[in-house]
Amino acid sequence: MTNRIESYLPLKPQSFHILLSLAAGEQHGYGIMQDVLERTTGKVRLWPATLYGTIRRLMEAELIEESPRRPAPELDDARRRYYRLTPLGRRVLDAECARLQALVDAIHTKRRMVTE
Amino acid sequence: MTIARLYRSLAEAFPHEFKLAYGDDMLRDGEASIARIAQRRGFAGLLPLLADLVLRLPIEYLNEMRHDIPYAFRTLVKSPGYAAVGVVSMGLGIGLTTNLYSTAWSLLTRQLPGAQHASRLVTPEKPVSWYYIQQYRAEKNLFTGVAAVQTPVQFKVELDGARGTKPQRVFGQIVSPDYFSVLGMAPERGRMLSADDQKPGEAPVVISNRFWRSRLHADPDAIGQTIQINGQNATIIGIAPPRFDGALSTTPAEIFVPTTVAPAMVPELGNNVLLQRNAKAFAALMCLAPGVTIDQAEAALDGITRRLDKLDPMAPPETAGGKRVSLLAAGTRALIPRKVKPAILGFYFVLMAAVMAIACLNLATMLLARGANRRRELAIRLGVGASRFRLVRQMVSEGILLSLVGGAAGFALAYALWALYAHTQLPAGAPPNPDNSLDWHVVAFAFVLALLSGIGFSVLPAFSATKTDIATALKEGAALRLSGHRRFGLRNLAMGAQVAGSLMLLLVTGFLVLGFMRGQSLHTNFNQKTMVLLAVDPVRDGYTAEKARSFFEQLPERLRQSTEVRSFALAAQPPFPSTEDEDDHQLTAEASHIQSGAARQKVGAGYFAAISEPMLAGREFQQRDERIATDGSGMAAIPVILNEKAARALFGGGGAVGKRLRDDQHEYEVIGVVPTLKDAMGMTEAYAYLPLTQRDFVQPPPGGITIIARGHSAADALVGVRAALTAMDPNLTVFNVETLSEYLELTRAHLRTALRIYGGIGLFGLILSAVGLAGITGYAVAQRTKEIGIRMALGAPKNQVLGLVLREGLALIAAGTVIGFLGAFTVAKMVSAITKEFADVFQIGTNDPRLLLGAPLLLAGLALLACYIPALRATKIDPLAALRQD
Repeated sequence: MTNRIESYLPLKPQSFHILLSLAAGEQHGYGIMQDVLERTTGKVRLWPATLYGTIRRLMEAELIEESPRRPAPELDDARRRYYRLTPLGRRVLDAECARLQALVDAIHTKRRMVTE
Repeated sequence: MTIARLYRSLAEAFPHEFKLAYGDDMLRDGEASIARIAQRRGFAGLLPLLADLVLRLPIEYLNEMRHDIPYAFRTLVKSPGYAAVGVVSMGLGIGLTTNLYSTAWSLLTRQLPGAQHASRLVTPEKPVSWYYIQQYRAEKNLFTGVAAVQTPVQFKVELDGARGTKPQRVFGQIVSPDYFSVLGMAPERGRMLSADDQKPGEAPVVISNRFWRSRLHADPDAIGQTIQINGQNATIIGIAPPRFDGALSTTPAEIFVPTTVAPAMVPELGNNVLLQRNAKAFAALMCLAPGVTIDQAEAALDGITRRLDKLDPMAPPETAGGKRVSLLAAGTRALIPRKVKPAILGFYFVLMAAVMAIACLNLATMLLARGANRRRELAIRLGVGASRFRLVRQMVSEGILLSLVGGAAGFALAYALWALYAHTQLPAGAPPNPDNSLDWHVVAFAFVLALLSGIGFSVLPAFSATKTDIATALKEGAALRLSGHRRFGLRNLAMGAQVAGSLMLLLVTGFLVLGFMRGQSLHTNFNQKTMVLLAVDPVRDGYTAEKARSFFEQLPERLRQSTEVRSFALAAQPPFPSTEDEDDHQLTAEASHIQSGAARQKVGAGYFAAISEPMLAGREFQQRDERIATDGSGMAAIPVILNEKAARALFGGGGAVGKRLRDDQHEYEVIGVVPTLKDAMGMTEAYAYLPLTQRDFVQPPPGGITIIARGHSAADALVGVRAALTAMDPNLTVFNVETLSEYLELTRAHLRTALRIYGGIGLFGLILSAVGLAGITGYAVAQRTKEIGIRMALGAPKNQVLGLVLREGLALIAAGTVIGFLGAFTVAKMVSAITKEFADVFQIGTNDPRLLLGAPLLLAGLALLACYIPALRATKIDPLAALRQD
């Protein structure tokens, strides 16, 4: 299992952002796009073709799936398809976060050594 | 808003499957973004949105195709017969085309390997003298350099360290020391010739890579080695880059000797050829200055040459108009006048296109047939919601896969053909095969060709197969006929084109093969096996002029005494030489002022007796003629013998003997007329035979003086001649010893290669068209099985049914035949209008009834057979079974 997870790493930036947006719960494509935009304060914009192309690839890799559950009716946009993380997707996201965290730690250590 | 519309149409272009899943979301998101971004950042902010779509489009398609190819593979595996025919057709087609292409490319368009200035090299069509080259060289604003070249030149080479081994005849070039700098060529090893190599007494030479590898076995210490050229010491100073076989010559040169060496080593430089203003012994290799076009250079050079000619008292009188100089691009192996080049390339292109068209047609027709048989499958897939485009893509993927596999097979075939050609053992002494090796260029060509033809042959049938009425197709299945009986339906068109294309290919290659074959048969009035040819060159062996003259004076006497030699003659070249251009030598009849060109040969006393040709009128040369012409003062007329063709051209039907002729230098008197002989290539030209003179004895032609001798057998004659020579001088080098048949063999070595190539193409066309015709008619008849069954059940006699099928086939074949004939003759006429060599060949071929009747009959027979067999099979089935078929 670990091997299988490892084989997805490192994630491409677009994939990482999408997985990250879905970590909170199911979301539709446009929602993901807005979420990423907000999180990165407008620096990363997933244009539609890239967004859905990446979603397709993540679906094929079984990291995400279409969600049958809809959000509360007043928030629901009936025409849209919702996506959510699969268990595998969640593990891959965790592994990627851990990998990035280790990287950040390493950077901190390095910086401390330089300043001291 | 236009941006929104653009976005929408781009989004529509995405693959069907992708759109099904994400199309709506993508459209909505896009439109929402457009409104918002346009508001905030204006038009420029929207560009990344569109760019994103454009960039993503091919990725999504590739992703879809990823599934298509394995699917196509499975489909092909399930129908191995179709796959096999496809791979064989494409393999043959691509293999042959690639082979043709690599030959044409290496000769016509590949730049000289290693020559940096290749694209700027030009050369005047006619040879010039050393003096002119020096004058041209001074035109610094036109040319960055002008080198002098003599090519091809034969050298006798002995490799040092292996002294006593047989001297080898090596083809090479005599070049001015700036040759390599004009080419812009750096050495592979050592150094190139340079202007410093002017010191007399030294003999630096550059060898080709081929020479180094094959004759010196890639010896790492080759630089600085001494070899013997024509018996003199020379030092190897450099090795040319790989594959460089010399400029300005199709004969590969292996050794480059500078013009600064002593004439003792290179007799071609004897007689002060460098100081004679009129000795037009050199080709000029020129490198254009940057920014100068070939037309500008030609115009300027014409003026310069005119001026130089005017200053020359010996020059021919000013002739009206006409260009003095015409320049050829010299950066490739074969030098072709600029006007002719498109035609030659076009000829190759048509040939290649015909081969590929037939191969593609084969596959297209089979695909068409398969499409009809898969009608039910396709209908089901359409019915459950596959887009038509999706199915077309699937079928095209199959086509591409097939042609790529075929392309790989074809490349293997091309490689095999090349290897075969490269390792053909040429008769000893012949120049080596030019280097036509395959490189990335050719690989790319084969790949692109495979890809394009894969798409080409599958698109139309795919659209035709998917254009179907789902309901009826589901009901009736494979037996459904294409929408009605269409006279010009795709199938009929394909069959007609098939016949036309095959016939065209067969005829054009047939013309060539017959034309070349005619050249193979050389009729002589004596047994060719009894004649031996030898060459001697006493001057090259170190004789003084006086000694050489007396040697040739005594030689006939000696040979006459020999019991083994029955007849003999001397000549400046072996008999039946391959033709030079007759237009280079104009002769004018003095009385009537009729002008006509005639190629020239120099022959000694008793030449025509030695080759058993009768004199039609007058007498032939005697030994005294050799003296008359010697003084060259121009006072006495030089005796000349014309062949019938030349005599008729100059004097009409009247007697030629005793008449006077002149050219721009001399006056001649016709002393005899001989029959028109074919040369080794089977061509007949107007010839003027001049006597071998003492001047030729002192300054022999590059191949030496040829002794032609006949005895009881060639071996006998050889013994006799050798004995006579040894008695005169045991140290004299005898070279180019061969029987006449061996010599002819050698001359035609390349001819035979051409014959094999064109014959192979013709045969290939025949095989392919047989396969294709069988495929298409088989399919057509199979579709009519039900109809035939009904007819049979209603009591139609078998013959009537067969006749019905054959009649329809016959009409198509007839139409195809007419088109094929027209096409073939158009190509033949077009090519022969432009090149003389092909004109002669086509002249013979296009008049041959065997071909003109045989080729169409053979094809028609094949096509009818292809109709007949499946029709016969169809009539044999039980009518009930046919009717029950779904």
